[in-house]
Amino acid sequence: MAKIGVFDLSVRYGKLTALSDLSFTMPEGERLFISGPNGAGKSSLLGAISGAVRAAHGRIEMDGEILSGLGPEQIARRGLSMVPEGRRIFASLSVRENLMVGTGLRRDESAVADDLEAVFTAFPILRERANAPAGALSGGQQQMLAISRALMTNPKVMMVDEPSLGLAPKVVDEVYDRLCELQKLRGLTLVIVEQSSARAARVGGRMLLMRGGRIVADGDAAEFAAGDLLTEAYFGDPA
Amino acid sequence: MSIQLLFDALALGGIYAIAALGIALIFGVMKLVNFAHGQFIACAVFALIIPSTDAVAVMGLGRLPALILIPAVLAVGALLALAAEALVFRPLRNASPVALMVGSFALGVALQNLLLVLYGGRPKAVSLWADLGAPIALGPAQVPLLQLIVIVAVGAILLALALMLKHTRIGLEMRAAAEDFGMARLLGVRANRVISGAFALSGALAAVVALVLVAQTGVADVRMGGQIMLVAFIATVVGGMGSLAGAVAAGLALGAASALLQAGLPPEARPFRDAFLYALVIFVLLFRPQGLFASAGAKPRV
Repeated sequence: MAKIGVFDLSVRYGKLTALSDLSFTMPEGERLFISGPNGAGKSSLLGAISGAVRAAHGRIEMDGEILSGLGPEQIARRGLSMVPEGRRIFASLSVRENLMVGTGLRRDESAVADDLEAVFTAFPILRERANAPAGALSGGQQQMLAISRALMTNPKVMMVDEPSLGLAPKVVDEVYDRLCELQKLRGLTLVIVEQSSARAARVGGRMLLMRGGRIVADGDAAEFAAGDLLTEAYFGDPA
Repeated sequence: MSIQLLFDALALGGIYAIAALGIALIFGVMKLVNFAHGQFIACAVFALIIPSTDAVAVMGLGRLPALILIPAVLAVGALLALAAEALVFRPLRNASPVALMVGSFALGVALQNLLLVLYGGRPKAVSLWADLGAPIALGPAQVPLLQLIVIVAVGAILLALALMLKHTRIGLEMRAAAEDFGMARLLGVRANRVISGAFALSGALAAVVALVLVAQTGVADVRMGGQIMLVAFIATVVGGMGSLAGAVAAGLALGAASALLQAGLPPEARPFRDAFLYALVIFVLLFRPQGLFASAGAKPRV
């Protein structure tokens, strides 16, 4: 059974169509990059899966269970966590408090302390700044915090929207290294929105190329970087 | 400045701060200015007396000993606010902020008319804890015992609330939700739980204000929530919408300014005390339109 299944999904904002009849499935443990030009509908897709954006029609499933119609908190409780665009950390809360917000949904309360320790081991800077307001962290540190905060919900599926946005290339390398390590360690199913196909190819995984609210290509990220599918997606005729 | 003036300022400011907190708590999580808050206060006052349109008030709840009476009135306030949330604001949750605000006005008018039907329009004399009015000597000053109790109670409530927000799960969820509700929900924070919690707290705070007002003035009046609601709303604006610390600070400042003006203005200008007070408010907002403590959540998000 597919971990995530999206069937004929459409999202509209007023008269504007952000996603039209989009379908794909992904197996458990997969790493899926979503790429495409601005306005392709990448964030709308993540928003619809996480429950933050209401779908006009279509169906979203996780482990065969229908998610459509559930609120974001209910979807989070089923094991799907999101690192949204712009990170959206709670600036006035301390780093530790940011990490704890998402632990209220867990039933394995005794494991929370272990997970916090694991996060602090993976990102020592977060331990160092645990009691500082999260707004005082640098952009890269905030990205680490946003990823760690999502991990603290103990998710099965994690979606990360543009982890490289506004970060120096070296920091982006580090963010991806950590994401891949964590995925391996926890058997996460990972969805990442990434503008740079070169970056996606280097990290490795499957890639969906979106344009105008549709999927225009689906394949191995390494092949995308080599071929001219990208040029097609950015500059070709709309599908 | 005399000690007496200091106590006047603290007691008045404390009540304004508690009322402003009731508004700021709900604004924080829902971006709703609840204009029915004043009527929550009035309802908690009238809960003390048995419904009747007679001129003389017969105490109902108000006859009970304080140890039972206080929790009972707090519960009335909290339950009223919870009911208002479930019946009025939950169906409007995804409506525009303007619709929410109009809804709160409508609720306020409805509650006020309910009180008019049950209790009539005439103010009633209510004697609650009358012996607390007795002054006690503090050095050279004579301070009513009630004022001391109010100041201590307000301090204790603020401390308890701060500890609750800082150290409990619901407190953490409220602070996260106040900053970015959508993100909090993505992390599994239940919107209904946080909003209900904020309403219950806000209603209980309205009941605190009600008890103090009745004990101080000895009057139950259907319109009594309006004036304090206005001051409390202004305090939340001056403090910075959504900032709890700002609401408390501005409430205290407004109370202090009010007490100082009352004492400092020449007698012939005293009837216009509030005009001076609001001129001061305009002056502050000219320089800090976002309020003294603008909260992160009130800023537009990218």
